[in-house]
Amino acid sequence: MQIFIDLANWLRAWILGMGISTTATELILTAVWTLVVILFVLINLIVLVWIERKSSAFMQQRRGPNRLGPAGFLQFPVDIVKVLGKEDITPAAADKFIYKIASTCAFVTAIVAIAVIPFGPGMVLENLNIGIFYFIAIGSTATLSLLMAGIASNNKYSFIGGMRTVAQMISYEIPMVFSLLGVVMLAGSLNLTDIVASQKNMWFIVPQCIAFIIYFISTVAETNRGPFDLAEGEQELVAGYFVEYGGIRWAIFMIAEYGNLVAVCAIATIMFLGGWNAPFGLTFLPPFLWFMLKVYCMIFLFMWVKWTYPRIRIDHLMHFGWKFLIPVSLANIVVTGIGIYVYRMITG
Amino acid sequence: MFGRGLIKGLGITLGHLFEKKITEQYPEERPVLPARFKGSFTLKVPKCIACGLCANTCPNSVIKIESEKDENNKKKLTGYKMMAERCLYCGFCVEACPTKALMWNHDYERAKFSREEVNLDLFGSYVPSPEDDQPAKSAKEDEESAQAS
Amino acid sequence: MLKTQELTLNLGPHHPSTHGVFRCVLNLDGEYITKAVNHTGYLHRGLEKLAESRTYTQFIPYNGRLDYCSGMLNELTYVTAVEKLMGITEEIPERAEYIRVIMSEVQRLANHAIYFASMALDTAGATAWFYGFRDREKCLDLIEMASGQRMMPNYMRIGGVSDDLDENWFKLLKELVDYMPSAVDEYEGILTGNEIFQARTVGVGPVSKEMALDYGITGPNARASGIDTDLRRDEPYSVYDRFKFNVPVRKNGDSFDRVMIRIDEMRESIKIIEQAMKDVPEGPIMAKVPKVLKPPVGEVYHRIENAKGHLGFHLVSDGSTKPYRNHIYSPCFVNLGIFPEMAEGLHLMDAVVALASVDIVLGEVDR
Repeated sequence: MQIFIDLANWLRAWILGMGISTTATELILTAVWTLVVILFVLINLIVLVWIERKSSAFMQQRRGPNRLGPAGFLQFPVDIVKVLGKEDITPAAADKFIYKIASTCAFVTAIVAIAVIPFGPGMVLENLNIGIFYFIAIGSTATLSLLMAGIASNNKYSFIGGMRTVAQMISYEIPMVFSLLGVVMLAGSLNLTDIVASQKNMWFIVPQCIAFIIYFISTVAETNRGPFDLAEGEQELVAGYFVEYGGIRWAIFMIAEYGNLVAVCAIATIMFLGGWNAPFGLTFLPPFLWFMLKVYCMIFLFMWVKWTYPRIRIDHLMHFGWKFLIPVSLANIVVTGIGIYVYRMITG
Repeated sequence: MFGRGLIKGLGITLGHLFEKKITEQYPEERPVLPARFKGSFTLKVPKCIACGLCANTCPNSVIKIESEKDENNKKKLTGYKMMAERCLYCGFCVEACPTKALMWNHDYERAKFSREEVNLDLFGSYVPSPEDDQPAKSAKEDEESAQAS
Repeated sequence: MLKTQELTLNLGPHHPSTHGVFRCVLNLDGEYITKAVNHTGYLHRGLEKLAESRTYTQFIPYNGRLDYCSGMLNELTYVTAVEKLMGITEEIPERAEYIRVIMSEVQRLANHAIYFASMALDTAGATAWFYGFRDREKCLDLIEMASGQRMMPNYMRIGGVSDDLDENWFKLLKELVDYMPSAVDEYEGILTGNEIFQARTVGVGPVSKEMALDYGITGPNARASGIDTDLRRDEPYSVYDRFKFNVPVRKNGDSFDRVMIRIDEMRESIKIIEQAMKDVPEGPIMAKVPKVLKPPVGEVYHRIENAKGHLGFHLVSDGSTKPYRNHIYSPCFVNLGIFPEMAEGLHLMDAVVALASVDIVLGEVDR
């Protein structure tokens, strides 16, 4: 059932068997796992982009990509090859250094967030005991790279897009953190593995359904996806903060966006949907597959919402964030706290 | 209640998710064209009497006709060129043709690499076919036969 | 005190939301517009001048290039204007008149479907966009069957229509008429009933009744502002006086009303087609007009209710085969004139929505 753990143990034993010290072995293993995580994100990306294109096409009564590979599955890898062949253009008036590192920064934050996510029992790159805190901290730095891109491009459209990004992401960070707080209180731990373990009997979506909805809405805004994709603002800002980017730099932004999507959906699975725990005792699938199944269900929900709704206006977005989501999420924390207190009183 | 429209919208998109798709797989699947479709032109040279009505009626002077008089002092076509690059595809020339020599065909793949290639030389590219010797049919009959085929 | 500065933003002429090559220079305070200036003319092809060097018949195909979303309606306007100039309005056969009405209503459906689609796209509802285009295709298929082309049909003739319609065509039309109401319901479900869309459009870019009259706004935009005007009912041309239909009027004149007017009008168009197709008479489709048209010396102005407003042609004849002057009164151009006043004080996102809700086609604005 736990192929990856067995594989890790086998690899560890093999490297140790070559007469390398324990510390060095652990270093090598960490490097290998980091590579595996990056590969995981990239492979996921192919699936994700495929699902996005196919589901949007199906909703719009189209067929979607169907030329390359089975059912157009290889469209995205081929797209990346095409994008790699494009000329790398830097606008003459841009702040060249920041312009160039902005896309890489966005990519790094997306990858690094994956590090603490447990994909199965013991399958975690770095089992931090403040895992969720780390995730939130990393997630908020994503804002910065988008702002860098927006301002460094020296374009009015991307400048407005950058401004919007900051306003939107900062205001939606707060309800997102508050919504996660209720789960942390219930689980009594910041460690993601412990949080999953404490959901063995009941997923936290049941006591924390309001928090789940708040989390969902604010992560849609966090990841800049429709109907909250104001930073891109295709209709009025053309493409928002990356309007000047082309070729592979643009592709890296897209990869980062999807990487973020995987990360927030994984966190939603861990925090609310019971992580790798199988529902109703259906343990015939390995935990890893259950986890991925839940993540993809979440991702489909994101896509479904994106391809149904028109974009919301920025001032409505702000009002909604500050005047509705934050009070509700605060109330949720208070209610959760009272609930826990009452529960302890009853059970002694 | 606020949010009912949002849920209804989700329902509509989900309903279409598993529906039959309407995209036409173009190069493999050819579109079914109506009989009157205006694609490109065919000129049945034996029928043409070089009267020049098509050239006269054209809004953009697309058509260039060359003709000479034969021994019976009858006009004979010696060249028929269409500057299709500035053609409006209005079809006035086809309507004007008294002998139904100029007709529409369903050749719609007219994209070419240069402007000169778009132009048609209907006289030079004419391939004789046995149908051309038959007497000219009226427009209605033509349409019926086109629909039957 | 921080020193602040207004941002001048050049919206267009190749901006995705300007519906063509319209350019607008905006002054932005933050993201709010303080001043908007229209710059048109990027698609000017000199159609009015071209008309002077074409015979009356030869100008018909150019009408499809005016407002390329409603070619049939433009052609109908032009040919009825010429017929009025020649004084043969009464001689048009019944069947041709009915076919003209059916064609223009099918074209109106297609135009409003594309309006709905572009409105959806300008609020980033890409899925609703496809639904609009799906139904427009169905309308255009019918037009293609009748005329041979989808967008520039060249179907109307001075004195009638170019080709007759057969049973098969009417069967397909019946299918369209039966299908369309469900499609309009779907539009209401996915977009106009959506709370996000309502939040985006209600109260955005309101045009009061007085303002609409001042600017000379016509058509659906005027009706959205509460002006009860519809040339199909007020100055019936063709055989519109024989059909029963409502003229939807709304009060607020904001973007949402301008969308809803179109949705209501689609339902009315379906009603008109249903009535017209029931009693299409048999008979000829062309009046007896001479091959070479030489209208008497004089001038005429004729206007009809286009999908976008009153489209009018002012034709001056000097007795020759070519018009001395052909002036086009374009509804899009007039409706676009209201944009600078409408956009003032709006958010940049709303300005795009307000512009989309006016329904402009640059082919007609610049002519």
